Amino acid sequence: MSGLLAGLLQPLTQPAHALALLALGLLIGQQRARCRMWLLLTLACGLAAGLAAIAFGVAETPAGNALLAAAALTGVLVALARELPALSCALLTAVTGAALGLDSPPQAISVAIATMTQIGTALGASLAVAIVATAAARLAAQARIWPRTAVRVLGSWVAASAVLGLALRLARGQLF
Amino acid sequence: MARGTFIARLTLVACSHAALLAGCAGASAHTGSGSGSGGFIGGFAHPVFGPDHVVAMVAVGLWGALLGAPAIWLLPVVFPLVMAGGGAAGILGLPLPAVEIGVAVSAVVLGLMVALALRPPLWVAAVLVGAFAIFHGHAHGSELPPGADAVAFSVGFVVATGLLHLAGITFGLLARWPAGRVTVRAVGGAIALAGLAFLRGIG
Repeated sequence: MSGLLAGLLQPLTQPAHALALLALGLLIGQQRARCRMWLLLTLACGLAAGLAAIAFGVAETPAGNALLAAAALTGVLVALARELPALSCALLTAVTGAALGLDSPPQAISVAIATMTQIGTALGASLAVAIVATAAARLAAQARIWPRTAVRVLGSWVAASAVLGLALRLARGQLF
Repeated sequence: MARGTFIARLTLVACSHAALLAGCAGASAHTGSGSGSGGFIGGFAHPVFGPDHVVAMVAVGLWGALLGAPAIWLLPVVFPLVMAGGGAAGILGLPLPAVEIGVAVSAVVLGLMVALALRPPLWVAAVLVGAFAIFHGHAHGSELPPGADAVAFSVGFVVATGLLHLAGITFGLLARWPAGRVTVRAVGGAIALAGLAFLRGIG
């Protein structure tokens, strides 16, 4: 598999990454329309920072656990379905992006392939969040209560899954 | 009523039957710590193969449907969040007394709520369902297989629980018709009786 394709698919093949991206997409979709584009840009910046840190050889970090914790918090916020202050939402988005980037070290030995993998990861994660956010925004705009309820229920599922995942890691001594 | 709407509702009810049957067909007991594969499938199978869990989850959905909005969506949102807390406590080995009794009592109480079509204030319903969610979460959390992929297993576990709620809600939509209401309440009575049987089994 080419580096770019591997990177594109990487956020979707790791359950913790997919959970965090799903929750973030739902949360962004629940925010005001003019905030959404800024939040997507913030995500891209966070991803770039995390991936750049990996490229510059940052040692192993607990980014995977931070990502799960962010997913849990984001899921709860989605379930509450409240419009958030833009700064808080941007901070959560940036943390999720940076944690995802830091938790995505490329497996390739070649620098060229590793770089392409990282670019693919950034593109794949941003695209996934943009698609989920667009879908969630459309659901949130519906007059009927069911579509909005479905988004909130999904948020509660993400939060519950992330909390259980964190507890399992803690019980196995993988958290710290 | 429009023909299309009626057919859509019939489809929903048929789906709920299918989900219920799928859940009950394999129902035997909690799988225990030694069985079940890791990952999503293992997590998905875990609640589905525990009859006490299945009937209580369906009862939550049925009760939500009987209570109507906002309970119909609040209860399925509250349950997984609180259950995760109980599950985390179980995973970490924090003690909770009489867990299996609590799980069986949840089937009795929630079944009775449906059978008697009781309509307490929303906060009472949410607290009741949340309290039982802790027992269900703890029971499953303490039985998770050691080799499972933590996050994939958790996702499967939560999705299965949520789909059981959905099965209960879709079946509960029958209550919009008089005959359907009787059927839903009868199912609630059957769930309460099943809960009593679980209690006898524990004793």
